[in-house]
Amino acid sequence: MKKVFVVYATDNVGTAVLEPIHTGDHVGCNGERSDLEVIALAEIAYGHKIALMDIAQGDTVLKYGLSIGTASCDIKEGEHVHAHNVESNRGRGDLADRKAVTAE
Amino acid sequence: MSEFLGYVRPNGDVGIRNHLLILSGTVYANGVCERVADTIHGAVPITHANGRCQVAPDLRVTRRFLAGSAMNPNVGAVVIVDHFREEGMTAEDLADDIAPTGKPIATVNIRGDGGFISAVDKATRYAQDFARQISLDAREAAPMSKILFGTECGTSDTTSGLASNPANGLAGEILIAQGGRMLMAECTEWMGCENWLTDQAASPAVAQAILAGVQHMEARALASGEDIRGSQPTGDNMAGGLSTIEEKSMGAVKKIGDSPIVEYLEIAEAPTKTEPGNYLMYGPGMGAESISSMAAAGCQVLTFCTGGGHTSNHPIMPTIKVTGNRQSFELMRDTVDVDVSGVFYDEITLAEAGQIVYDEVERVCNGYLTKSEALRDNNSFAIHRVGPSI
Repeated sequence: MKKVFVVYATDNVGTAVLEPIHTGDHVGCNGERSDLEVIALAEIAYGHKIALMDIAQGDTVLKYGLSIGTASCDIKEGEHVHAHNVESNRGRGDLADRKAVTAE
Repeated sequence: MSEFLGYVRPNGDVGIRNHLLILSGTVYANGVCERVADTIHGAVPITHANGRCQVAPDLRVTRRFLAGSAMNPNVGAVVIVDHFREEGMTAEDLADDIAPTGKPIATVNIRGDGGFISAVDKATRYAQDFARQISLDAREAAPMSKILFGTECGTSDTTSGLASNPANGLAGEILIAQGGRMLMAECTEWMGCENWLTDQAASPAVAQAILAGVQHMEARALASGEDIRGSQPTGDNMAGGLSTIEEKSMGAVKKIGDSPIVEYLEIAEAPTKTEPGNYLMYGPGMGAESISSMAAAGCQVLTFCTGGGHTSNHPIMPTIKVTGNRQSFELMRDTVDVDVSGVFYDEITLAEAGQIVYDEVERVCNGYLTKSEALRDNNSFAIHRVGPSI
């Protein structure tokens, strides 16, 4: 079985650091969640992340046990997690600008 | 406590190289500096785009970068060239900054010395004398506690935060246990894990300074009016699987280990303390500016952790590239020094990876050439700007 790496027990994503994951692959975890197994719903390139459980829009995406951003849409267990469905919460000049416009 | 063989300077600093530096005071002296360095054995030029029409706070930072680079213990002697009469930073001003180190310094002024050809003549004669003078210096035993070990990451991917960076943090701990110091900059990449760093701060004042530094850098990003994604994380970070700056930061701060953070420094500022431990410095994630600020602060050696592979090498501070991505190591075998990807394939433990990185650092401190030094690919001198050209 292919494996992804999970840094911290509370993480809801794992990282493909051994080999790419293909749609339909059964994926186990090493690191902190060797108990967990998911089926890949998408192609996960080397170095990219897979959702280990369903993550609802607005939920926090966790790696290293800390927030790496917010889910910008519902993400299903086994889906690819990346910039298309995770929003950063830091350094967002675009949002600062929008707020300033709203305040006017 | 182990020792290394280095060049003991008059002020007690210990270099791991004995470079003759040809330092350009302004952009308009670059041509002379390059010509001189081409002629003289072992001479290394530092050239740049600054020194003219800068606002005062920006010029002060430029001066710290230039003087600091020459003060670095890896420099045995320096020839400084400027082109006419700069306001606020002449070759003599730089020489005054460098003088307390006790190393040989000469200055040349292109207009005052009669133009390009005469300036090249004069600077080349100084450089020839210095090159021969410092060739008499011999390496002597010095404690590893004399090492200020800089660390950087660039072209990071998800392997960086899981292998090369934590291995590097463990290597830093091995040095710190022997009384050494480790320096990390790039405060853009502390965004999202400030709490990890403030927990390590040796005092509340250091913790406050860390938070203020990140806030200042984030304000720069916010003032741009745009999402920083694309520049932080960079396009190659994102191709490598890093989705957000927060995720990049968590991997990035793993470059230092768990020892206390002793002092917080402004960009290109030398530590004022000698206590073993971690030191943090304000600065951007831009690799060349960041590693140049660490060389200016006095780092003799630097590890550059890279997922995708990186070509960065500082002209006077040996730059050891470390990767956790086996494919990058294969592609960049002539450029990347250390491969710790074995941690993913159960070939080595993370602790063993840390020892491998430390051993390479110690070898380089004793004179072993990095791959990029052997190639003379000295591409990474750059000066951080804090104001506009006017």
